[in-house]
Order: sequence, then structure tokens, then C-alpha cells
Amino acid sequence: MTKVPLIELKNMKRHYEMASETVKALDGIDLIIDEGERVILLGPSGSGKTTLLNCISALDTPTEGEYIFDEKDVPRNKSEEMTTFRRENIGYVFQFFNLLQDLTVLENILLIQELSGKKDQERALKLLELVGLKTETNRFPSEISGGQQQRVAIARSIAKKPRLLLGDELTGNLDSETSTKVMKTLVSACESEKITAIFVTHDESLVEFATRVIRIDSGKIISDEKIS
Amino acid sequence: MSLLLTKRLMRSLWRTKLRLFAVTMMVTIGVFAGISFGMYANVVTEMYNETYLDKEGSVNLPDIWIKNPGGIWNQTTSENLCQLVEDEWSSNVLELEFCEPRLVLSGLMYHENKSMSAIWHGIDEGNIDRVWLPEHACCSGRIAATADEIVIDYHVAKGLKIKLNDIISIGAGSGKISYTVVGIGLHSNHFYFAEPSSLLPADNGTFATGYLTDGGLEKLANLSSGSSNSILIDVKGSPAYNLLSTTENEGPELESVIENITVSLSLQDGISVVIHDRSGQDSVEFLRADVEGAQKMYPYVTGMITVIAAVTIFLSLQRLIQSQAKEIAVLRTLGIPRTSIMQGYVIAPLVIGSVGSLIGTLLGWYVGGPGMLNYYSDILGVPIVLDTASKSIIFENVMIAMVVVFISGIRPAWQASRLQPLEVFRGQNEVRISSRTIQKLTARLPATIGLTIRSSIRKPIRLGFTFFALGLSMVLFGTMFMMMGSMEDIFGANNDYDAQVYVPIDGEGEVVNWAQDNGVNYELVLQYPGTPEGDNRQFLIYGLDKIETKDSQLSMMGVNLKDGELPIINSTTLQVLIDEGTSKFLDWEIGDQEIIMLASTPLKVEISGITKGEMQRTIYFHRADLSQIVNINATSVLLGFSEEVEISSDLEDLSIGISTTEDMQKSMDTLMEQQQGILFAMNGLGLLIAFAVLFNTLVMNIAERDFELSTLRVLGAPMNKLGIMLLGEHLFIGIIGGIIACIASIFMATMMIESMVQWAFYFTIEPTLYHISVIGGIVVGMAVALTPLGMWRIYKMNLIEKIKDLSQ
Repeated sequence: MTKVPLIELKNMKRHYEMASETVKALDGIDLIIDEGERVILLGPSGSGKTTLLNCISALDTPTEGEYIFDEKDVPRNKSEEMTTFRRENIGYVFQFFNLLQDLTVLENILLIQELSGKKDQERALKLLELVGLKTETNRFPSEISGGQQQRVAIARSIAKKPRLLLGDELTGNLDSETSTKVMKTLVSACESEKITAIFVTHDESLVEFATRVIRIDSGKIISDEKIS
Repeated sequence: MSLLLTKRLMRSLWRTKLRLFAVTMMVTIGVFAGISFGMYANVVTEMYNETYLDKEGSVNLPDIWIKNPGGIWNQTTSENLCQLVEDEWSSNVLELEFCEPRLVLSGLMYHENKSMSAIWHGIDEGNIDRVWLPEHACCSGRIAATADEIVIDYHVAKGLKIKLNDIISIGAGSGKISYTVVGIGLHSNHFYFAEPSSLLPADNGTFATGYLTDGGLEKLANLSSGSSNSILIDVKGSPAYNLLSTTENEGPELESVIENITVSLSLQDGISVVIHDRSGQDSVEFLRADVEGAQKMYPYVTGMITVIAAVTIFLSLQRLIQSQAKEIAVLRTLGIPRTSIMQGYVIAPLVIGSVGSLIGTLLGWYVGGPGMLNYYSDILGVPIVLDTASKSIIFENVMIAMVVVFISGIRPAWQASRLQPLEVFRGQNEVRISSRTIQKLTARLPATIGLTIRSSIRKPIRLGFTFFALGLSMVLFGTMFMMMGSMEDIFGANNDYDAQVYVPIDGEGEVVNWAQDNGVNYELVLQYPGTPEGDNRQFLIYGLDKIETKDSQLSMMGVNLKDGELPIINSTTLQVLIDEGTSKFLDWEIGDQEIIMLASTPLKVEISGITKGEMQRTIYFHRADLSQIVNINATSVLLGFSEEVEISSDLEDLSIGISTTEDMQKSMDTLMEQQQGILFAMNGLGLLIAFAVLFNTLVMNIAERDFELSTLRVLGAPMNKLGIMLLGEHLFIGIIGGIIACIASIFMATMMIESMVQWAFYFTIEPTLYHISVIGGIVVGMAVALTPLGMWRIYKMNLIEKIKDLSQ
């Protein structure tokens, strides 16, 4: 039986019309990602990796090309439909964690579950255990370290069982030791929950946590290698 | 360098144009209101002072009135009384200038097959209390010189379109006589044009006054030459007199003279008089109280609105500094001194204050002040003949505004200069540990609701200030709203009679016969003036045939009994009801026995109960009890008509004045209509300011939640759920704000009215559930109405840009 890819991008382009020129942030990306892969997008600043991530997460709409997710066309140009798509399929981890300061660690996870209509406190506690923060459930984000906050953010992002987890420079605000801990947690969570993941980074040292490395420059994929 | 920094700040302020406009408008409104009220108080005070003087073109208002409530003096008696006053004059400080007898009678005026109550003045020498014919569009002609001439009051001429040389028909209990109108003018007794013992301005065609020669009035009333029922006394200059609105005695000398005259006259056989100074003359006192009210009000109004503006400036500047924290941190890192940073944030509110003050001054001086003078001359009916407002009111109001806005900017400016760059770069200046208590209290709630509540009270200081400013702004609306409700109750014609027919002494019998012949219900009323013992503040004393409560509908003139019991007739110590104003000002309670003066006759009474709803100080007797003391049976007859019966000409001939409930209601309706404009403006103003305050805070709250809301949108939170969270936050703030607005409105309104009421004009407000619901509901409504704005903002969010920001 032919395995159906989770993500298919065909000739995806994203152009921005500026006053004096057209900026081609993505200039014809063809990409297939299967379920279970952990993909790292590497590239220098301005290469288009974040733009690609934005298009994959349906935060942005490509100017041209196809985007098929789990055999269905991803909504374009319709804010609520794109939001629904993200809610049902995507988990997102930010560079600066973006935890809600007025909610405890546990409540940050419960909130996302409530907004998705899938409240499950047991699962929330299980995820916190998974990321090694079972004892911190009633702390506020400002009372825990950066690395711990990022792990909470990871737990939050997989709380609603997304198909795809995305992260943009998610270790950009952490020291190297913490970054390693966070990435190990992430890999463990993805394997445990069977989640496909795509991370954007410029940090080559994170390659060891990926199953595939895609290098981007000037809006084009310049290399794509699987890592055993 | 500082100029560049200030420019930077001004441009950033300009980016929030709507909020900037709102704050500037508040300062404008504060200064505008202050100048408008101030101009009114200033001009009208000057005008009254000028008008009352003894000089060419002015009226020479008396200083002392001696009135005979029980009849008419002949010429000999009045001359003897003046001689007695002169002989017994006790003051070395005050000099007696004139003593003039005066005849003032109630009567009727006939116009187009209708009659109306009237007061006629017979003016002989005219040294004191002259008819006023100012050089103004209101007035024309000359004073009456012969017995068939009359000067008609300006209010009457305007309302009935009477012109010079018209012939009018009038009466005073002895048939009708025609007079030629030779002048249209004013009289100090009727500047505020209302029927005697009423504070309701008389509607056109319901009341008239006119000024004849002495002989002309004697002819009308069929009295002998030299008849009078008042003695007017003028003291040289304008001596101070004891004001009813203060506790101190501004005129001890004049009071001493009055006491002396009272004692001297009480020793004369057959003389029973009421003696008072200017505070006892209704029109004079009411207008003085009105101006005093305006004088008291304007600093409060300016101050209140400017404080609200200051709170808004303070909160807005704080928010601005927070949003510019990184910029300020960068500037500090580059070595810009604290004072340079602070300077801009001090100048900003001064600029806002200056612009607002300038616009407010221009509007107040050229539009609001003149508008208010015109408006009040329409309602009070006093033409504004002077327009010399002092420019000091501009200075006073602008100073209040500028000081307040300056103070509002000091702390945010100081905070800006104290920002630590490292803390800002580490994000530590914004880190706040949420309250553990609030977290525990809301832990069991769903996370969405918990977040809603915690977001609402995230900035307690800002919220506190907002509630404070909201409370103040709703005071304006709430006070007007509650006052109007109370005024409708007081002024509303809710008596059970159709007409009150005033009769000469012993003249009630014929009116009663008429009533019996026509099958009309009737009750007799005896009205008499009185004062507390040793005090020249006046009561309205009513003797009623039946003293019953309004609700029982067993009497034509029912009372609103607040406390105690209805008096029992023919008690050993006569029992009376007093109004709540009398109780408050004299400290008289139920069960007390007090002495009141009925003209010169002291009488001990027992207070059985306290009534409410009377603007003037009132005492109710059983008519039979009062009649025995004053030897008068009745002064008017209340009539309740059946459908087929109405006022006829023979009834008019029997009376010296008829006022109908229908006319009273018309006057009330006219007054309410006239007041609509200003009430609408004041209410609208209060609501506008309240909305601006809420708008400012809720928009700031939403802007601060950009981070949170964009995170949730990226994570897939649907609009409707975010909308519900936002609605919850606004509802929460609206409910708390609404409760505070109600409490503030009721508290401040009660305090304001307490400070303004006085003997001549007493008023309370009784907040009801309806008032509370409306005030609270409006605040909740405004807060909830801002939810779509928040949702629109979320909807319009560029998530891509937000992600970029969040990643940086």
C-alpha cells in the first residue's frame, strides 16, 4: 500500500510586492513530508524558512502553488477556515514560549484544550509528566526557568493531539545545555504521540534531533537529506 | 536634543489620535462648563446688585418689609406706623432713609374670555421698590401717572402679546375695571415670575402682575385713599442681611433693627404683622439662591471634569511609557539623561491641557456663557440687561485645568525617567506574578473563565482609576437623572382639586354657596405667614379642612407623610405637621413642642409628623385650630368640579384670584420642556465622558493583550470563543463599574444637593431601583458595546507580523 504523505507542497511561491521590487520569499518549493518525520529547516537569515513555516501552518497564504495536507487542500485567504485548520491539525512552539502569564502551567495547557473543545485534565497532567514538569503544575510561568517554560510550551502544543508540530527558533532563547534538554523532550514527545514535526532554526547542532534536514536559501530548497 | 525627544513623543501621541482627541475634549469640556457657569454667576450677580441699588434706572429694593397679613391699614395707621419706626430707630450704624406704605392686592386679570390670578401693586411715592423700565427690548413706556393707567409686567405682555396703549380689564374683588397700558416693565417682587408661594414659573396666561398708581388700585379694590397693607423701609446704602444659606449672621445690625421694630409694633393694639428682610421676599431670595448655586457649582463642575481628564491622561501616559519602554531603555543606554526623557512626558499633558483650555475658553466665553444667560433668562424670565463678565473667570478655570493636568503627568514622567535599561531588555519590567489568591479563587473555573477574570483585574491601579473616573462622570448623569425624577414628583400637580379660589377676608361664604348651588365639592384652606420664634425665616402655614395623606385620597390637598402621625384636631397643645426641610434646618423632631409666630402672635405647637415633597418650608394645621388663633376663617376654597361644571364669571367676581390645577400642570410641562435642552446636554455630557473613560481603559487593556490574543489565534482559538472571553472581561468591568457608578452618583448627588439646599429651596433625591438599574445598566451597556471593537482588532491582527514581533 502506498504511504500517503502528510504534507505536499507543489511549486509553492510567496512573493511580496514592495514599492520598487518584488521580494520572492519562496520561489517554487516542492516538498513532501511523511508522517512521523522530524524535519529541520536550516538556512541563513532571510532565506525564507520562516515564510515556509508560516505557509505550512496556514498563517500565511502562498501566492502560487498547491498545499495539500492529509490529501486535502489547505484553506487559503479565509481567516476563520485557516484558524480552524490550525486548531485541528497544528501545534506551534514559539521562540519566547508565549505562555499566558496569568495562568499556571497546568492551566496554560487546559486553556488550549478548552478552546479546541477537547478538555482533558488527565491528558494535560500526563503531558506535563512527559516533559518532566509534573511537580510544577501550579506554578506561574514567571516562577519557572526558560527551559522549563519551553517544555510547558511543548506540552501545550501537543495537548490537542495535532498531526503536525511546528517550531520557529524554539531554542533561540535558551543556552546550549537547556536547548539539548528541550530538544530531547520534544523528540520524546513526538515519538510518544506519533507527531510529525518541522522546526526552523539556524543552529546546526540541532541536526542530531532530526530525521531529515532541508536547507533553504533565497526561497528555494538547496538540499534535502534524510538522517538515519 | 530634548526638542527632538519631545518631537518623538508628540508623534507617538499623534498615532493614538482617538484617545488623544478624547482626552483633549475632556479638558475642553471642563473649562467650557466652568466658564459658562462662571459667566452666568458673574453677570447675574452684578446685574442684581446694580438693579437693586438706589439710583437712576434702578429699583431701590427695600431692606425691611412690614406686612399685614390680616387686612388693610388706613392712611392714619400706616403713617403712624412709619412715625413709630422712625422714632424707635435704634441703630447708630444704619440710617433710615425712606418709610413708604404700599398696597399690594391679589386679584384677577381678564383676557380673551379667560381670567387668571394676578397681583396688583399700587405705587404712590415710588421712592422704594420702583417699577423697573430698563433700556432693553423687554420694556417700554412709562410708569402710571393717573388712576386709569397701568404698567403691565413684561412676562405678561410677552405671553399675552399686550402692547402699549392696549386696554386691559382687571379686578381685585370688587368687579372689573379697564386700564390703559402705559408701560411694560418689571418689578423686583416678580423678577422670578411665579404665583405667590410657588416656585414653579407661571406659564403664559396663568398669572399676571401689574403696577398702578395708589389711587388706581384703591379704585379697583374700592378702598379709601391712603390704604395699604405693607410698609417698605429703605436703609441708606445696601446693608448686609442674614443669608438663609449660611450659618453665620452677615447682618447683625439690620437684624437688631428688625427685632427692635418687631418689639415696638407688638406693643401696638390691633397690629399684627410679619417683618422680614430681603431673605423673606420670594423672588429676591430665589434668584439670590440660584446665583449662589451657580457660583458654588462652577468650580466643582470644572474640577470634576478636569480630574476625569487628568485620570485619563495619567493612564494613557502610563500605557504609552509602557509601550515605549524599549525605546526609552535604548535612549538611556545611549546616555540620554533622565531629565531630558522626563521633560517630554511633562510637556505632553501641558500641551494637551493648553489646547483643551484654549478651545474650552473660546467656546465658553463666546458660546456657552452667552447661551446660558439667554437660556436662563428664558426660563427665569429675567432679561439680562448687563453683559459685563469678568475675565478673571477665564483665568480661574484655565488655572484649575492646567494645574490638574500638570499633576496628572508628573508621575508617569517620573516613572519614564526611572526605567532601568537592563530590566527592560530582560523583559523584567513587565513581569508580574499573578495574584495567587485570585488564582486559587478561580482555579475551579474553566481556564477560559479564569483567564477572563484574571485579565480583567490584571492592572488593579488602572482599573481603580478607571472606576474612580467613571464614578465621577456618572455623577453628572446620575444627579440630573435622579433630580428630574424628584422634581416631577414635587412639581407634578397631584392634588385632588381642580381650582383654588382665593377670597377676601370673610369672602369664602359666597364661594361656598356657589359650590353648593353647582354641586361642586369644596374644602376651605387658610394660608397664613409665620416664622419660628426669634427668627425671621418664613413658613408657609396651611390650615386644611381635612389633613389626610395623598394616597388615601380623602382630602383635596393631601400630604406626603414621611414620619409620625397625622395631627389630632383640637388638642390641648395644637398639633401640626412640618415638612422635612423645616425639621432639618430647625432641628425639630416628632414630639417636640415649639413656638411659632403667627404674625406677632406666639403659639406653642406640638409636632405630630413630618411630611416630604415641599420645596418651601411648610406647616400644616387643622383649619379649625388655626382659624381660632388668627381670627380668619379661610383665605381660599378648593373646588373639585364635576364634568358639567367649570369656572364661571360669577365665580370670578367672588374671588381675588383663581389658580387651576390644569394651569399648574401646564406650567410644569412648560418648565420641563424648557429644561429638556439643558438636561439633555448635561446628561449627554456625563455619558460622553463616561464612555470616553471606559473606551480609553478597555482599548488599552485590549492593546496589552495583543501578545496573548495573537498567541491564541496562532494556536487556533476561534473568534467566537475569544469574543466570549472579551465579552466576559468587559461585562465584569462593566458590572463593577456600574455598581461604583451607582454608589458614586447617589453619594455625590446627595452631597451636592445637601450643599445647595437652603431655607427657601429644599430638595432631596430618593434613588429608586429604577434609577439604580438605569445608571448601572448604562455602564454595563457601554462596556459591553466595546466588545465588538476588541473583536475587530483581533480580526484585523496581522498574525505574520505578530509572529515576527513575538520571535524578536
